[in-house]
Amino acid sequence: MRSLKYFIQQSWLLIVASFCFGLLIAVTNASLSPEIEQNKINKFNRLAGGLLPDANDFVPLDKQVEVQGIRGKTINITVYKAISETKECVGWSFTAAGSGFADKIELVIAVGKDFKKLAGFDCLASNETPGFGDQIKYSYYKDQFKGAPAGKLILIKAGDTEKIDSEIVAITGATVSSEAVVKIISHYITRIREQMLQEGLLTSDNGK
Amino acid sequence: MTTENEVKTDVYSKTFLAGLWRENPVFRLLLGMCPTLAVTAAVKPALTMGLCVIFVLTCSNIVVSLMRNLLKPHLRILMFTLTIATFVTIADLFLKAYFPRMSEMLGPYVPLIIVNCIIICRAEACASKNPLVVSIIDAIGMGVGFTLTLCVLAVVRELLSTGKVFEQQIMPSAFVPWAAMSMPVGAFLTLGLLLGLVNTITKRTRN
Repeated sequence: MRSLKYFIQQSWLLIVASFCFGLLIAVTNASLSPEIEQNKINKFNRLAGGLLPDANDFVPLDKQVEVQGIRGKTINITVYKAISETKECVGWSFTAAGSGFADKIELVIAVGKDFKKLAGFDCLASNETPGFGDQIKYSYYKDQFKGAPAGKLILIKAGDTEKIDSEIVAITGATVSSEAVVKIISHYITRIREQMLQEGLLTSDNGK
Repeated sequence: MTTENEVKTDVYSKTFLAGLWRENPVFRLLLGMCPTLAVTAAVKPALTMGLCVIFVLTCSNIVVSLMRNLLKPHLRILMFTLTIATFVTIADLFLKAYFPRMSEMLGPYVPLIIVNCIIICRAEACASKNPLVVSIIDAIGMGVGFTLTLCVLAVVRELLSTGKVFEQQIMPSAFVPWAAMSMPVGAFLTLGLLLGLVNTITKRTRN
């Protein structure tokens, strides 16, 4: 009993302050989170729209696709169906993340309507080293993925960056970041495709 | 004969001006070097960082000053960190909600304000020992001093690395940008040269 009294005497201010500060953060978070979420959606639409220019709207599938993540954990991914002005499916898009050199890399990945060719990728979040790893955002690297087969990609150290195939030329001085992007795309694209085929969300011939 | 009010005004003005020059956090105390080097490649992120620091510093000084008589000596650092972390989280959420591009540009440096030495130094050296008004003035003085320093560095670096200031073209079209000035080497060089300049001015004014 005496020790409890001593504990309260010593720490009451810390306990009260923790409660008050926690409440303050919770209130701020609750009031700002709709705006933050909207910003994320806007960014996704902007990036995915850039990858699939024919798309007029991105509609999330009713059911999330459950796949195994890079580290073996099960992850639920929201796949968006890209709809054109004439209400036709022009492709698919989703976000995927993995470890980069400095921090987590979060990508927006887009594929064609049949899920056979990549429409490209863009960075949703990345803190890679300026001047080196952040070159994954540069078009000379990103353009290698446009039209590449939507399957397992291979990273090579030297080659022709304009040749579109499953071989991706790494960024000089940023092999870890280049490898991370290739790994994220290869890992998720094959698993999401398989899962969508299994669940009947995608037919093997036309992707409808 | 000086009145009490005149003494108070003198104390307040000295406290405010200390942060701008005599005890400038970057040039004189060499505190907050991480954001000073990392976010000064352009004026906009430097100014945003400075404003975030002013907000966090003022709020944390207010809270620390108000509870200074209740602080247990062995728990004070924990209380300071808790207070600072709360206001940094609020600033970070605010940037994410209303300035998402700037939030992305500043990346991890906004959450890293929690470990910015300037804020914990002012909580320890000023707010935990002084009344509310002095603590607020000290926070604003130090914050403005830090912001101005960041902006001076950013103006030099942005001008030489892009030919622009605040994204407005300043240099003639014939100017060849010095790409190195936007990289870490440019940050160290500019900071070193400005520190040398400030030291020279200080020595001359003393003499």
